[in-house]
Amino acid sequence: MQLARPLLGWLAFGVVMCLLPAFVSTGTVRILIFANFLAIFAMSWDVISGRTGYISFGHPFLIGIAAYTTAMLTYHLDTPLWLSIPAGVLATLVGGTLFFLPALRIRGTYFALVTLAFMELMYQLTQVIAPKITGGTRGLSGIPSLVSGAIPNYYLTFGLTFAIGLGLWFILRTRVGAALAALRMDEGAVAASGLSTIRLKLFAFMTSAAVAGVGGAFYVHYLGSIAPRGLFDINFLFTILVAALLGGSATVAGPILGAYFLTFLLEYLRPFLPGPERYVIYGTIALVVYVLEPRGLHAIAHAAVRRLRPSRASAAASP
Amino acid sequence: MAFLEIRNLDAFYGRARSLHGIALDVEAGRIAAIIGPNGAGKSTLLDSILGLVRTTGEIRLDGVSLAGRSATEIVRLGVGYAPERGHLFPFMGVRDNLLVGAHTAPRDAERNLRKVFDLFPALEERQNQETGTQSGGERQMVSLGRALMSSPRLLVVDEPTIGLAPKVCHDIAVALRRMNEDLGITILITEQNVNFATRLAQDVHVLETGEIRLRGSAEALMNNPHVREAYFGH
Repeated sequence: MQLARPLLGWLAFGVVMCLLPAFVSTGTVRILIFANFLAIFAMSWDVISGRTGYISFGHPFLIGIAAYTTAMLTYHLDTPLWLSIPAGVLATLVGGTLFFLPALRIRGTYFALVTLAFMELMYQLTQVIAPKITGGTRGLSGIPSLVSGAIPNYYLTFGLTFAIGLGLWFILRTRVGAALAALRMDEGAVAASGLSTIRLKLFAFMTSAAVAGVGGAFYVHYLGSIAPRGLFDINFLFTILVAALLGGSATVAGPILGAYFLTFLLEYLRPFLPGPERYVIYGTIALVVYVLEPRGLHAIAHAAVRRLRPSRASAAASP
Repeated sequence: MAFLEIRNLDAFYGRARSLHGIALDVEAGRIAAIIGPNGAGKSTLLDSILGLVRTTGEIRLDGVSLAGRSATEIVRLGVGYAPERGHLFPFMGVRDNLLVGAHTAPRDAERNLRKVFDLFPALEERQNQETGTQSGGERQMVSLGRALMSSPRLLVVDEPTIGLAPKVCHDIAVALRRMNEDLGITILITEQNVNFATRLAQDVHVLETGEIRLRGSAEALMNNPHVREAYFGH
């Protein structure tokens, strides 16, 4: 029973999202594709930052490693995608290890700043080091796609989002998930309970890197091009952060919910506010939601469902 | 050979040495207490046993050296730790807090959970309550319970009565005595509450400025003029 209800929730989510393209325009489907990618990135961010409390400001670094690796392999060497994408994910795991090293010694603001430096470093490296390979400031274009058309891309990205979400949900339900949550609250007490905080953090960082890698690799093959300005960008970073926090940090459904909400909000604001002013609006909305319910949209949705569901006592009393 | 043997132990925070040549024995099946003022090094000593600070010297549990081992290994060898003020996970329920302590002994989790609930029936009634919303006494119970979940042979408890009312202190003492007598667990506590420590423990060590100054039976130390002057003011 404890497992059945959330699984039914996942099933319902899957069914609704699979049927959705039949009822919405192609334009909306394209927005949903971006929402799916944002959901993957937000889930990845949340595994490190939401679960363990190590706030990452450098997530585009991890996403970028996979994206650049697979882009360069296919662009320069005509590597088939079935090989280049796993290579991109593997490269992200190496990047994730680099990302993890500061977490052995520092946390809080210092860790966040170091990760921000990772992102900035990657931005500079792609432009300065071997621009012939990375494409320098202009990046690379003409990167092959996995599938073409809005609908196939939608199902591909939603399949990834769903599989990653469900996989993370299963992992984070285990004792390891509870230990990660404990790590966020009191790392010293976790160590005193005999758990290896290093192993736990490594697990979280590697899981996060793997998810970021998958997302980054598929993202670049969907876009068909890559440039450092678009990827290692503070707005991109904050969109990921806000999606996770707005949706509900330390949950799996929260970042997905936040990503869909935020993507549609930004898209629907576009005709009225085509410039960066949109970010002021979404920042304000995020702030209001965060002040009203710090646990995010996920908690608001949860409370609404609970209110709608008749209590057992009243259900028993009713004829 | 004592169950817990500490010899020539120095502990360091960076370059600062906070324990100086500690020698201490705790016999199997006994309750030992370390008393001392703030900053004496009591918590550091317990952290040293758990491998949480850098140390030199020797610490042996039942003949097995703990030097160079990680906290995970040390807990697996049979040391349970209830840190000062509990250090619980405030947004997790009582049961989940207890289960974090079971990571090193997952097969015994259900049996140990039963033991904890037998010792502290109030916790069984409030299994799902977030520990951040509990009273200080209940949090101390959860802390002791979490340490018990690792199937310890030696339980080290840092200042179990800090900030607690006398009635709750009494309940904690009863629970610790039951752990010792009924479950056969050797216990080492640190305390500033000398009355509590000397009533509970059979052996007492006085730690001041990182060194053991006095040791003996609880009764002998209660009659020691230095202890009376330092802790009771007469």
